[in-house]
Amino acid sequence: MDEEYDAIVLGTGLKECIISGMLSVSGKKVLHVDRNKYYGGESASICPLEELFSKFGVPPPDESYGRGRDWNVDLIPKFLMANGSLVKLLIHTGVTRYLEFKSVEGSYVYKAGKISKVPVDQKEALASDLMGMFEKRRFRNFLIYVQDFNQQDPKSWKDFDPNTQNMQALYDKFGLDRNTQDFTGHALALHRDDDYLNRSAIETIDRIKLYSDSLARYGKSPYLYPMYGLGELPQGFARLSAIYGGTYMLDKPIDEIVLGEGGRVVGVRSGDEMAKCKQVYCDPTYVPDKVRKTAKVVRCVCLLDHPVANTKDALSTQIIIPQKQVGRSSDIYVSLVSYTHQVAAKGWFIAMVSTTVETDNPEAEIKPGLDLLGTIRQKFVSVSDYFEPNEDGVQSQIFVSQSYDATTHFETTCLDVLDIFKRGTGEEFDFSKIKHELGDEEQ
Amino acid sequence: MATVRIPELKVILCGEYGVGKSSIFRRFTNNTFVKATDRKSTLGLDHFYRTFYVYDREVKLQLWDTGGMERVASITSSYYKFAEAAILVFALDNPASFHVLSQHLLDIVTYAENARIFLCGNKSDLVGNVPQITDSEIESFCEQCHNLVSGIYKTSCKTGDGLEEMFADIAQQLANSNRSRLELQSMEQHGFKITPYEDEPDEDGCLC
Repeated sequence: MDEEYDAIVLGTGLKECIISGMLSVSGKKVLHVDRNKYYGGESASICPLEELFSKFGVPPPDESYGRGRDWNVDLIPKFLMANGSLVKLLIHTGVTRYLEFKSVEGSYVYKAGKISKVPVDQKEALASDLMGMFEKRRFRNFLIYVQDFNQQDPKSWKDFDPNTQNMQALYDKFGLDRNTQDFTGHALALHRDDDYLNRSAIETIDRIKLYSDSLARYGKSPYLYPMYGLGELPQGFARLSAIYGGTYMLDKPIDEIVLGEGGRVVGVRSGDEMAKCKQVYCDPTYVPDKVRKTAKVVRCVCLLDHPVANTKDALSTQIIIPQKQVGRSSDIYVSLVSYTHQVAAKGWFIAMVSTTVETDNPEAEIKPGLDLLGTIRQKFVSVSDYFEPNEDGVQSQIFVSQSYDATTHFETTCLDVLDIFKRGTGEEFDFSKIKHELGDEEQ
Repeated sequence: MATVRIPELKVILCGEYGVGKSSIFRRFTNNTFVKATDRKSTLGLDHFYRTFYVYDREVKLQLWDTGGMERVASITSSYYKFAEAAILVFALDNPASFHVLSQHLLDIVTYAENARIFLCGNKSDLVGNVPQITDSEIESFCEQCHNLVSGIYKTSCKTGDGLEEMFADIAQQLANSNRSRLELQSMEQHGFKITPYEDEPDEDGCLC
């Protein structure tokens, strides 16, 4: 450890692993340390199942759960948008070669106590039971508008300025009713709350386009999920970093981040070992004095031995409960994966219900989500704090990531990573720096 | 015109730091040898495939190196995923690297349950008149692990001895066992790779 590095990365969660990979690829000498003896931090998939049970202080699983090591249970549920930023990062960095994916089978939205498939094209919109006949036509016109919308071509804006006018105005232009606005904003544009209505419409138009472009990629739904669980993602980027010269250390407690002149970081100390560096990149848990708590997220892992009702027995699905439907101000998300992704023993399903905490009884807040699941064999509830860094890190050269939020996909994760990289290196990440030499598939 | 896709069989190198995994990898990729460990020579190199011919059929071996992760940390479990075979490497002049193999074997059977396992004693050029690890020790190791080992090889990356023979034999063994296995595997057990947007997404089954 007693060496000098350009950067030391603390924590092997997904964000830190992506950053570590990007830094190594850019020619930086990187030391990547985790206090745990496994990769992935909070983004790890727990294996075997016994470990999950003991982590939550529950008596070990009986034999009906099959072999413990056939389970890989995520603690933070997310899907990849098939045309989203993480997929682009995976492709550009070549990390995609370590992974296999499956399309999530369906995407559903909750309305008045029951769930319906999210209509994504004109045909589905016309068949949907979410809207009445006239509303369907208005929604169809809205979808066509968004599809034809081109930011470079004001003619396609049709007398509406998406940069200055807000989303509410665009809904009103098409005469969409409250219910349609609800599933458009929350199940297509994937907004967590209703603040977006007052922001410029362009943001929501882009999000709906991301949804439909992602859908066009592999069909069925816009979401992808990796075989063996999300924990494969940080590991893939860690390998990228190692391949490009990054050094890995696990099970290494960090006792001090050592500051020098002007409060700038000069190294990291573990026991009586000290590694020198010019920069530190880390997750909030390594610098409790440099972050503030801004919210809480409740997540509940549920083990089921059956699919979820009214999803055509889908082996994977997402259900969004828009806030207004259940009198809240942030959405409740339900995601379901299963044995088909090699994350559970044969016949088993893992559902995760999550939301941003609004009361002092978080478990009660997710009840509408739990109620959709039917009999739950075992559930594990956790409430985690959401931390944001107090400063941008330019002064101290300590760059801190934000905690993982309640969103169901990785778009905000990637934005944070790219922003940290830019703050740390003063430049945007240059994808062309990754040289695929011998051994690349495209040879 | 219909073409048959030749599957690339993932083969991983496992074993202690310094037994010569990267040297084996380098011999496999461009048949060279460097004396001192020189990370730069494999920097950015992830894996490499070569085509072997077994009874006129093509078999693609895709060899993966660890990237040096085992030096101070452990190797990620994802390294083992989707592996068809693992080469368990030890150095013939280093008994410690041999006696620790059972730990590496355990990792392989845990994370790559279906992988065929091959045992490779490297650095045969450094063995003096009295071998540090005897053939009977190697045999009893294979017996202890319930004959999970499908082949035993002695190689020298320095002289190149035994390496081509090892790769060819592994290719042959995998070709023999894989025909039936590939046919048995249903698509249900597999996901797909994501590819750049310009490419057409792969369709399941028929590749016309």
